[in-house]
Amino acid sequence: MTATVSAPPMAAIQFRGLSKFFGTAETKVTALDNIELALPYGEMVLLVGPSGCGKTTLISIAAGLLNPSEGEVVVLGQNLTKMGANRKVRFRGENIGFVFQQYNLLPALSAVENACVPLLIAGWNRAKAIAKAAEILTAVGLGNRLKAFPSQLSGGQQQRVAIARALVHEPRLLVCDEPTAALDAASGRTVMQLIKQVAVQPDRAVVVVTHDSRVYDFGDKIVSMADGRVVEVLGKGQRPHE
Amino acid sequence: MNWVALRMLTGDRAKYLGIIFGVAFAALLMGQQLSIFCGLMRNTTSQIRDIEGADIWVMDQNVQFVDDVKPMSENELLRVRGVEGVSWAVRLYKGIGRARLDDGNFQQMILIGLDDATLVGAPRPDRIVHGELGDLRQPNAVFVDEFGWRYLFGKEPFQPGKTLEMNDKRAVIVGMCKCNPTFQTFPILYCTYSQAVQFLPQERKTLTFILAKGNDDLPKEQVCKAIEDQTGLRAQTNDQFFWTTIQYYMQRTGIPINFGITVMLGFVVGCAIAGQTFYLFTLENLKQWGALKAMGVSNLRLVGMILLQAVIVALIGYGLGIGGAALFGFVFQRAMTSTPPAFYFGWQILVGTAAAVVVISLAASLLSMRRVLFLEAGVVFR
Amino acid sequence: MLTRYILPLLGLIAFAFAVQQMTQAQQKTPPAVPPVEPAKSPFAKQLAGSGIIEPETENISIGTNLPGIVERVNVKVGDMVRPGVPLFRLDDRQLNAELVVRKAFLENAQATLEKLNNAPRPEELPPLRAKVAEMVANLDDQTKQLTRLQRLGAAASEDELTRREAGVAVAKAQLERAKADLALQEAGSWKFDRLVSQSAVKQAQAQVEQTGIELTRLTVKAPQLKWDATNSASDATEYKVLQVNVRPGEFVGTVQGQALIVLGYIGKLHVRVDIDENDIGRFRPNLPGFAQPRGNPHVKFPISFVRVEPYVIPKKSLTGLNTERVDTRVLQVIYRIESADLALYVGQQMEVFLNAAEGK
Repeated sequence: MTATVSAPPMAAIQFRGLSKFFGTAETKVTALDNIELALPYGEMVLLVGPSGCGKTTLISIAAGLLNPSEGEVVVLGQNLTKMGANRKVRFRGENIGFVFQQYNLLPALSAVENACVPLLIAGWNRAKAIAKAAEILTAVGLGNRLKAFPSQLSGGQQQRVAIARALVHEPRLLVCDEPTAALDAASGRTVMQLIKQVAVQPDRAVVVVTHDSRVYDFGDKIVSMADGRVVEVLGKGQRPHE
Repeated sequence: MNWVALRMLTGDRAKYLGIIFGVAFAALLMGQQLSIFCGLMRNTTSQIRDIEGADIWVMDQNVQFVDDVKPMSENELLRVRGVEGVSWAVRLYKGIGRARLDDGNFQQMILIGLDDATLVGAPRPDRIVHGELGDLRQPNAVFVDEFGWRYLFGKEPFQPGKTLEMNDKRAVIVGMCKCNPTFQTFPILYCTYSQAVQFLPQERKTLTFILAKGNDDLPKEQVCKAIEDQTGLRAQTNDQFFWTTIQYYMQRTGIPINFGITVMLGFVVGCAIAGQTFYLFTLENLKQWGALKAMGVSNLRLVGMILLQAVIVALIGYGLGIGGAALFGFVFQRAMTSTPPAFYFGWQILVGTAAAVVVISLAASLLSMRRVLFLEAGVVFR
Repeated sequence: MLTRYILPLLGLIAFAFAVQQMTQAQQKTPPAVPPVEPAKSPFAKQLAGSGIIEPETENISIGTNLPGIVERVNVKVGDMVRPGVPLFRLDDRQLNAELVVRKAFLENAQATLEKLNNAPRPEELPPLRAKVAEMVANLDDQTKQLTRLQRLGAAASEDELTRREAGVAVAKAQLERAKADLALQEAGSWKFDRLVSQSAVKQAQAQVEQTGIELTRLTVKAPQLKWDATNSASDATEYKVLQVNVRPGEFVGTVQGQALIVLGYIGKLHVRVDIDENDIGRFRPNLPGFAQPRGNPHVKFPISFVRVEPYVIPKKSLTGLNTERVDTRVLQVIYRIESADLALYVGQQMEVFLNAAEGK
């Protein structure tokens, strides 16, 4: 699935001189200001910073959902800025997994059905997709709730389903947007543990946007941002100044 | 992914039923109103359909529709017979007579006078409920239609020998036949031409129509043309006359406008209910759509999914609605016994309603699609 | 379950019902066949007209010369009668009475003439002659007395003499008168008186004859045949009595057009065809064709052209109403029915079809 993508030692995501502006000349807002950043494979990178600092914009660009105003972004060896819209959609479907703050599960589908959606997008046969999704769900500890609908699951369980969904098609980049924001501390920790445990692989990059300081411990690398700029890049165990 | 679309659609049962109900209701309202309208319009031509056996109606050239009676000279019959391509032609009286009932009341009657010798235009045997066609040749004999009998005598069972008084002459009911419901709702009397003339106040001319049959090997339209060229009369085939009559009512009465408004209302209400429910449904799922979009579902795919949902809703809603309209007609036509019902459920109704439902569903899905297509995938991060 | 299967199934069932109802409403019955197939013409170009059967002689409507009460009808419908046979007779009592009166007048006139012819009456002459003799004697007496007196001369008085002379003159005059009376009587009746009386007799005779003729006119007879060359009748022809509208005791007048008895010679039947004035342009004499009785299109009678009535008449509409209405004018053409089949009746309506493509 990812054969075309060259393996490490290259950085999984490379931002080069990346800027993003919103609005026109007079009301121009600079969301990202000349970002130079490289994120490696095999690590969980936490993107932290106050609200409005540009971290969501940054991962949106990394996921191909937004186009940068200036600069380049190379994801998994592919230059997204030079990629056509259709290819970008396919690239996203094949290579990126998403975990959202509000889970965004389809309420009409059961847990296992929700988890298999990316496989269906990729064109899998439904029975095979469900079997695969059941495996992953079992791996995230929901083997006994396969047929449950999102409304019947707790927040933590739902987020676990969402993680299963994000990983079911074995993407090489996992983007998590505030995965613990809607959860209590215990569930948040469980979820972060799960991500760390299941998602972090040598050939996979994991980016977690968060401002939940309780989960900083899980990051292998913490990128702290403010006002559209990268303030500092910290190693494991370090904490940003606040 | 179509499976996902379907699951999304049927996931919320209440909303799903709401959308289907909206479409079904619109289809029912439109189908039923259109049927009544078509029935009413069709009723204006019931005599054209009832008077069978001939292909061509010949009339004064100023006749605008079937009830517009402009009698011709008796000689025109002979002139029509002399036209090349005319196999035969017979006279027909069709007009309104006034009958005096036993209780002294007056009642307008549709009087149909058939050619004495041939009885061309008489009800076919399977339409005759009581009596024999030959009975019409008895003195003062008339046939009455089924609705007419109920209109005149209520629930009384049919018995031959009842009399009416028309133009100071006695008319004896000798038989009963089935007729298509009429627009005017008057009872229909069949009798011979010479009898009909006596049932009417003295008029200079009585020949209202000539029924003609063209040679089998000639197109009817050509025979009509030949008759018009040679005699200066107006000649139309059954179908042409049917549409001429309908066109007259369409142009000269308020019926099409009134029904048009009702049908439009049905359409608008359907649009409003189905469209809005569908739109709201999409709007509510906007986050999910966004998530799917982020997960790599192409816009084309999204359009396909929404259209699929619309198609399913349209199909089921249409089926239920049009079936309801048919059921309405079914019950309506059996419940109404004393007055002829106006209800015609033709293929045009099905097609027309289907077209309207397609428009409704398309409008609803386009509106929804707009929101989904222009949805920034990034919103799912907020 | 409900949403995934039942609802679509319901929709399908409802739709199927709708389609079924639709096909039912849509159903078109096969074209009906008329109870009796109307008369058809096999001709490509045809001229149609309605006709009425009439006898070869046309219908002879018998009328009466005189108004009066019918006393006796000698024929009944269907009788065959020869020309000259009495058909009916009117009441003749008044004319018979008149005849008697007229005859009396005649006798009177004749007697008057006879009387004139036989004058003078012989018995009247002797007294007149005697009177003459008397007057002769009287003159003689007077003359003698005068002579005697004159002989007396002067002895006779002047007075006496004058009287005697006058007496003689009177006696002479009286004799003359007696002679004249006798001569008048002897001469008999005057010639002119006799002529007057003779013409009176002739007049009375003529009146008697007139009444006699009028009496014969009270009896209406079948008319003499007056044939033209085209007719098939011979001297032995008999009329058929087609209609009798008169019965003993009825009053008949001399109204024109009143048919008391209708006669006709039925050798070949004719059909009088009405051709609309608008179609006259398409009509030519000698067009072939056929006729069909109304209501029986299976019978065809071949017909052949006889003549055209040159006068275009107002059409009588043949609706059978007692008030026949006139609308347009028609050309009447007479055709002969070339068939011995007498299943046709005079006055029957026919549908006539002429082949307008033929005929020059």
